[in-house]
Amino acid sequence: MLIKMKSMFGLSLLLIGGCSQLHHVHVSDIDQSRGKLTPFTVQVNELGFDAAQTVQIGADVAKSASTSEDLEFIAFILAISNFGPKTGNPVYNDNYAEQVLVEVVKACPSRKITGLTSIREATNIGPVSGEVVRINGYCIN
Amino acid sequence: MLNKTILFSLLALSLSGCVGLNTVSMTQVPAERENKISTSSSSWNFIGINFSNKFVDVAIDKLKDQCSSGKIEGVYTKHQTTGYLLVFKREVIVSAYCNEV
Repeated sequence: MLIKMKSMFGLSLLLIGGCSQLHHVHVSDIDQSRGKLTPFTVQVNELGFDAAQTVQIGADVAKSASTSEDLEFIAFILAISNFGPKTGNPVYNDNYAEQVLVEVVKACPSRKITGLTSIREATNIGPVSGEVVRINGYCIN
Repeated sequence: MLNKTILFSLLALSLSGCVGLNTVSMTQVPAERENKISTSSSSWNFIGINFSNKFVDVAIDKLKDQCSSGKIEGVYTKHQTTGYLLVFKREVIVSAYCNEV
Protein backbone atom coordinates (compact mmCIF):
# COMPACT_ATOMS: atom_id res chain seq x y z
CA MET A 1 0.00 0.00 0.00
CA LEU A 2 2.83 2.35 0.93
CA ILE A 3 4.68 1.52 -2.29
CA LYS A 4 1.52 2.16 -4.34
CA MET A 5 1.05 5.52 -2.61
CA LYS A 6 4.67 6.45 -3.32
CA SER A 7 4.34 5.38 -6.98
CA MET A 8 1.15 7.36 -7.40
CA PHE A 9 2.72 10.39 -5.79
CA GLY A 10 5.76 10.08 -8.03
CA LEU A 11 3.62 9.66 -11.14
CA SER A 12 1.45 12.63 -10.25
CA LEU A 13 4.56 14.76 -9.86
CA LEU A 14 5.61 13.62 -13.32
CA LEU A 15 2.22 14.55 -14.69
CA ILE A 16 2.45 18.08 -13.28
CA GLY A 17 5.01 18.03 -15.97
CA GLY A 18 7.45 20.53 -17.38
CA CYS A 19 9.10 22.03 -14.38
CA SER A 20 11.39 24.88 -15.41
CA GLN A 21 14.77 25.43 -13.87
CA LEU A 22 17.00 28.41 -14.40
CA HIS A 23 20.70 27.61 -14.00
CA HIS A 24 22.62 30.58 -15.33
CA VAL A 25 21.96 34.09 -16.65
CA HIS A 26 24.48 36.42 -18.24
CA VAL A 27 23.54 39.83 -19.67
CA SER A 28 25.96 41.70 -21.88
CA ASP A 29 26.17 45.36 -22.87
CA ILE A 30 23.22 46.79 -24.79
CA ASP A 31 23.86 49.54 -27.37
CA GLN A 32 20.67 51.45 -28.15
CA SER A 33 22.45 54.47 -29.66
CA ARG A 34 23.08 53.19 -33.18
CA GLY A 35 19.64 52.42 -34.52
CA LYS A 36 16.52 50.41 -34.07
CA LEU A 37 16.93 47.06 -32.30
CA THR A 38 15.25 43.93 -33.59
CA PRO A 39 15.15 41.10 -31.06
CA PHE A 40 16.10 37.55 -31.94
CA THR A 41 16.33 34.29 -30.02
CA VAL A 42 18.49 31.27 -30.70
CA GLN A 43 17.84 28.10 -28.73
CA VAL A 44 19.51 24.71 -28.72
CA ASN A 45 18.51 21.82 -26.55
CA GLU A 46 19.45 18.26 -25.74
CA LEU A 47 17.78 15.47 -23.85
CA GLY A 48 19.06 15.09 -20.31
CA PHE A 49 18.61 11.93 -18.32
CA ASP A 50 19.10 11.35 -14.62
CA ALA A 51 19.90 7.64 -14.50
CA ALA A 52 20.34 7.62 -10.72
CA GLN A 53 16.86 9.04 -10.14
CA THR A 54 15.33 6.53 -12.56
CA VAL A 55 16.95 3.60 -10.80
CA GLN A 56 15.91 5.02 -7.41
CA ILE A 57 12.29 5.10 -8.60
CA GLY A 58 12.72 1.47 -9.60
CA ALA A 59 14.04 0.69 -6.13
CA ASP A 60 11.01 2.38 -4.52
CA VAL A 61 8.48 0.43 -6.57
CA ALA A 62 10.30 -2.94 -6.52
CA LYS A 63 8.23 -5.70 -5.00
CA SER A 64 10.99 -7.63 -3.30
CA ALA A 65 13.31 -6.22 -0.65
CA SER A 66 16.47 -7.71 -2.20
CA THR A 67 15.68 -6.22 -5.64
CA SER A 68 15.02 -2.89 -3.98
CA GLU A 69 18.36 -3.03 -2.15
CA ASP A 70 20.24 -3.94 -5.34
CA LEU A 71 18.61 -1.08 -7.23
CA GLU A 72 19.37 1.35 -4.42
CA PHE A 73 23.03 0.33 -4.61
CA ILE A 74 23.06 0.90 -8.39
CA ALA A 75 21.38 4.29 -7.88
CA PHE A 76 24.08 5.19 -5.38
CA ILE A 77 26.89 4.20 -7.81
CA LEU A 78 25.27 6.22 -10.61
CA ALA A 79 24.81 9.22 -8.33
CA ILE A 80 28.44 9.32 -7.17
CA SER A 81 29.65 8.72 -10.74
CA ASN A 82 27.92 11.94 -11.78
CA PHE A 83 28.85 13.93 -8.73
CA GLY A 84 30.44 17.31 -9.22
CA PRO A 85 29.68 20.84 -10.40
CA LYS A 86 27.24 20.83 -13.28
CA THR A 87 24.03 22.40 -14.44
CA GLY A 88 21.05 20.16 -15.04
CA ASN A 89 20.99 16.49 -15.95
CA PRO A 90 23.76 14.66 -17.80
CA VAL A 91 23.41 14.64 -21.57
CA TYR A 92 24.87 12.13 -24.00
CA ASN A 93 25.87 14.67 -26.62
CA ASP A 94 28.10 17.36 -25.15
CA ASN A 95 28.46 19.20 -28.48
CA TYR A 96 24.87 20.38 -28.69
CA ALA A 97 25.72 23.98 -27.76
CA GLU A 98 28.62 24.38 -30.19
CA GLN A 99 26.48 25.61 -33.08
CA VAL A 100 25.02 28.46 -31.04
CA LEU A 101 27.52 31.06 -32.30
CA VAL A 102 26.85 30.13 -35.94
CA GLU A 103 23.09 30.42 -35.35
CA VAL A 104 23.46 33.80 -33.63
CA VAL A 105 25.43 35.20 -36.59
CA LYS A 106 22.84 33.76 -39.02
CA ALA A 107 19.99 35.37 -37.07
CA CYS A 108 21.40 38.84 -37.67
CA PRO A 109 21.99 39.63 -41.36
CA SER A 110 23.39 43.11 -40.58
CA ARG A 111 26.05 41.41 -38.39
CA LYS A 112 25.66 44.20 -35.83
CA ILE A 113 24.66 42.40 -32.66
CA THR A 114 24.15 43.80 -29.19
CA GLY A 115 22.53 42.95 -25.87
CA LEU A 116 23.30 39.25 -25.88
CA THR A 117 21.71 37.45 -22.93
CA SER A 118 22.86 33.87 -22.31
CA ILE A 119 20.42 31.71 -20.42
CA ARG A 120 21.07 28.15 -19.35
CA GLU A 121 17.79 26.50 -18.35
CA ALA A 122 16.06 23.15 -18.21
CA THR A 123 12.57 21.71 -18.36
CA ASN A 124 12.26 18.68 -16.10
CA ILE A 125 9.75 15.88 -16.41
CA GLY A 126 10.74 13.39 -13.76
CA PRO A 127 14.18 11.92 -14.50
CA VAL A 128 14.13 13.21 -18.10
CA SER A 129 14.83 16.81 -18.94
CA GLY A 130 15.30 19.14 -21.85
CA GLU A 131 18.60 20.93 -21.29
CA VAL A 132 18.43 24.27 -23.06
CA VAL A 133 20.90 26.96 -24.00
CA ARG A 134 19.05 30.09 -25.07
CA ILE A 135 20.64 33.22 -26.46
CA ASN A 136 18.52 36.37 -26.73
CA GLY A 137 19.96 39.34 -28.52
CA TYR A 138 19.25 42.33 -30.69
CA CYS A 139 20.19 43.16 -34.27
CA ILE A 140 21.04 46.80 -34.89
CA ASN A 141 19.27 47.87 -38.08
CA MET B 1 3.37 26.87 26.17
CA LEU B 2 5.64 24.51 24.21
CA ASN B 3 3.18 24.52 21.29
CA LYS B 4 3.27 28.32 21.20
CA THR B 5 7.08 28.27 21.27
CA ILE B 6 7.21 25.79 18.39
CA LEU B 7 4.63 27.77 16.43
CA PHE B 8 6.47 31.03 16.97
CA SER B 9 9.79 29.43 15.96
CA LEU B 10 8.24 28.06 12.75
CA LEU B 11 6.72 31.44 11.95
CA ALA B 12 10.05 33.20 12.55
CA LEU B 13 11.81 30.61 10.40
CA SER B 14 9.34 31.05 7.55
CA LEU B 15 9.79 34.83 7.56
CA SER B 16 13.57 34.87 7.83
CA GLY B 17 14.46 33.84 4.29
CA CYS B 18 17.62 31.97 3.38
CA VAL B 19 19.36 33.44 0.31
CA GLY B 20 21.40 31.41 -2.13
CA LEU B 21 23.50 32.96 -4.88
CA ASN B 22 23.12 30.95 -8.08
CA THR B 23 25.18 32.89 -10.60
CA VAL B 24 26.85 36.25 -10.96
CA SER B 25 28.43 37.81 -14.03
CA MET B 26 29.86 41.12 -15.12
CA THR B 27 30.82 42.77 -18.38
CA GLN B 28 33.60 45.28 -18.91
CA VAL B 29 33.25 48.36 -16.71
CA PRO B 30 33.28 51.65 -18.68
CA ALA B 31 35.42 54.66 -17.77
CA GLU B 32 32.32 56.89 -17.50
CA ARG B 33 30.22 55.77 -14.56
CA GLU B 34 28.04 58.72 -13.57
CA ASN B 35 24.69 57.31 -14.50
CA LYS B 36 24.01 54.03 -12.75
CA ILE B 37 20.80 52.15 -13.54
CA SER B 38 19.44 49.02 -11.99
CA THR B 39 16.43 46.78 -12.10
CA SER B 40 15.22 43.42 -10.90
CA SER B 41 12.54 40.91 -11.61
CA SER B 42 11.40 37.89 -9.65
CA SER B 43 9.31 34.80 -9.73
CA TRP B 44 7.67 33.12 -6.74
CA ASN B 45 7.03 29.42 -6.52
CA PHE B 46 5.89 26.77 -4.08
CA ILE B 47 8.36 24.00 -3.16
CA GLY B 48 10.56 24.95 -6.10
CA ILE B 49 8.10 24.12 -8.85
CA ASN B 50 8.21 26.64 -11.71
CA PHE B 51 6.80 26.53 -15.19
CA SER B 52 8.51 29.46 -16.85
CA ASN B 53 11.71 31.49 -16.80
CA LYS B 54 10.20 34.50 -18.58
CA PHE B 55 10.90 36.78 -15.62
CA VAL B 56 14.48 37.08 -16.91
CA ASP B 57 13.26 38.76 -20.12
CA VAL B 58 11.25 41.22 -18.01
CA ALA B 59 14.43 42.38 -16.24
CA ILE B 60 16.17 42.99 -19.58
CA ASP B 61 13.22 45.01 -20.92
CA LYS B 62 13.08 47.14 -17.75
CA LEU B 63 16.81 47.82 -18.01
CA LYS B 64 16.51 48.88 -21.65
CA ASP B 65 13.69 51.28 -20.77
CA GLN B 66 15.98 53.15 -18.37
CA CYS B 67 18.51 53.92 -21.12
CA SER B 68 16.47 54.03 -24.29
CA SER B 69 18.92 55.95 -26.51
CA GLY B 70 22.28 55.26 -24.93
CA LYS B 71 24.75 52.47 -24.31
CA ILE B 72 24.23 50.16 -21.37
CA GLU B 73 27.66 49.07 -20.20
CA GLY B 74 29.28 47.39 -17.21
CA VAL B 75 26.32 45.08 -16.73
CA TYR B 76 26.37 43.27 -13.40
CA THR B 77 23.92 40.34 -13.26
CA LYS B 78 23.02 38.45 -10.13
CA HIS B 79 20.71 35.43 -10.03
CA GLN B 80 19.66 34.45 -6.52
CA THR B 81 17.05 32.37 -4.78
CA THR B 82 15.51 33.18 -1.40
CA GLY B 83 13.74 30.41 0.47
CA TYR B 84 10.93 31.04 2.97
CA LEU B 85 10.28 27.53 4.28
CA LEU B 86 8.17 26.10 1.43
CA VAL B 87 7.97 29.20 -0.76
CA PHE B 88 10.87 30.33 -2.93
CA LYS B 89 11.62 33.58 -4.69
CA ARG B 90 13.90 33.48 -7.73
CA GLU B 91 15.30 36.86 -8.58
CA VAL B 92 17.48 38.40 -11.27
CA ILE B 93 19.08 41.70 -10.25
CA VAL B 94 20.81 43.69 -12.98
CA SER B 95 22.73 46.91 -12.59
CA ALA B 96 24.69 48.80 -15.24
CA TYR B 97 25.87 52.22 -16.39
CA CYS B 98 24.01 54.21 -18.99
CA ASN B 99 26.16 56.39 -21.24
CA GLU B 100 24.52 58.68 -23.75
CA VAL B 101 26.38 58.93 -27.05
